[in-house]
Amino acid sequence: MGKEDDGRLLIIIPAYNEEASIGGVLCELRRECPQADVLVVNDGSADGTLRVCREAGCPVLDLPFNLGLSGAFQAGLRYAAQNGYSYALQFDADGQHPADAIPAMLRAARERHVGVVVASRYLEGQKGWSMREIGSRMIGFCVWLTTGVRLHDPTSGMRLYTAPVLRRLAGNMNSSPEPHTLACLLNDGVTVAETPAVMRERKAGKSYLNALSSIRYMFQTCLSILLVNRFQ
Amino acid sequence: MTLFFRLILIAVSVLNFFYMARKLRKSHVEGRDTIFWMLFSVLLIVLSLFPGIANTLAGALGVYSPENVVFLLIIFALLIKLFFLSIKHSQLEFKVQVLAEEHAILKKKLEDALPAPGGKDDSKKDGEDHAA
Repeated sequence: MGKEDDGRLLIIIPAYNEEASIGGVLCELRRECPQADVLVVNDGSADGTLRVCREAGCPVLDLPFNLGLSGAFQAGLRYAAQNGYSYALQFDADGQHPADAIPAMLRAARERHVGVVVASRYLEGQKGWSMREIGSRMIGFCVWLTTGVRLHDPTSGMRLYTAPVLRRLAGNMNSSPEPHTLACLLNDGVTVAETPAVMRERKAGKSYLNALSSIRYMFQTCLSILLVNRFQ
Repeated sequence: MTLFFRLILIAVSVLNFFYMARKLRKSHVEGRDTIFWMLFSVLLIVLSLFPGIANTLAGALGVYSPENVVFLLIIFALLIKLFFLSIKHSQLEFKVQVLAEEHAILKKKLEDALPAPGGKDDSKKDGEDHAA
């Protein structure tokens, strides 16, 4: 057990134009998880995201141009793999994810020997029937259909990856941090655990996803899980 | 096939062929990428010069007119080309992504190694630091 406890955790925060929220997120992480390393991946932001991170003394990977969430997160995974981290955590820059849920995720990864730990909104909270929750149910259904595993919160963006999984995703073309990658991992025998977490709502304004792009996202994710994953 | 239709095919093919040849001479395109278009032009020219080929194929396939066989062959050729282009596009996109990721990691390593933060002209100073 002692050896496993030495495993270092890297918290990866992909950030695209998040100067308003990233400072608070970094403060919260430092307070709740002082033992973990934090890495912001600046995904070609046009605002002061990079400056805020530098002023906070946080290590930054500064991408030369915008790659999107998939590429930004993979840059963090690549860094984690190259620097021998045992765990990598995907964490949002907009303040939606609760830092105090991280220790429980780490404990779950160590004690239950799983490949991925997902922070789940619906382990303790009740899942309702809003548009977003209907989408979550449909994606969860697709995951169950193809893998036989029931995920309470497949769309949660707060995920902890252990060393073998993070090394695999770091060099893979199809490794976007999305539900269909999770389904793909499940199909390959990677085990997934869920721990409860209370997510916050985005503080300023509404989500970037409007009704139309949410439906498109749903459609693409379900098709990826049902069709594309079969051949990977 | 009418003579006019065949003339159009030949004209387009010849234009296409010489345009590609010119691009090749000016080094605007890689040689192996022009092979497809050269062969494509040759195919269209052969089909226009020997209408019997399209006629025979139309009869064998049960296609109404030989022109449609020409269209079918063009569509198939373009589909194959598009398919391989799509694969190549995916691979190129991934390579650019990996380059950007490695670039960012190297940049961080460089910044960590250099004593003064925010130094932009690091490439030249780096050598001097090591010499000193």
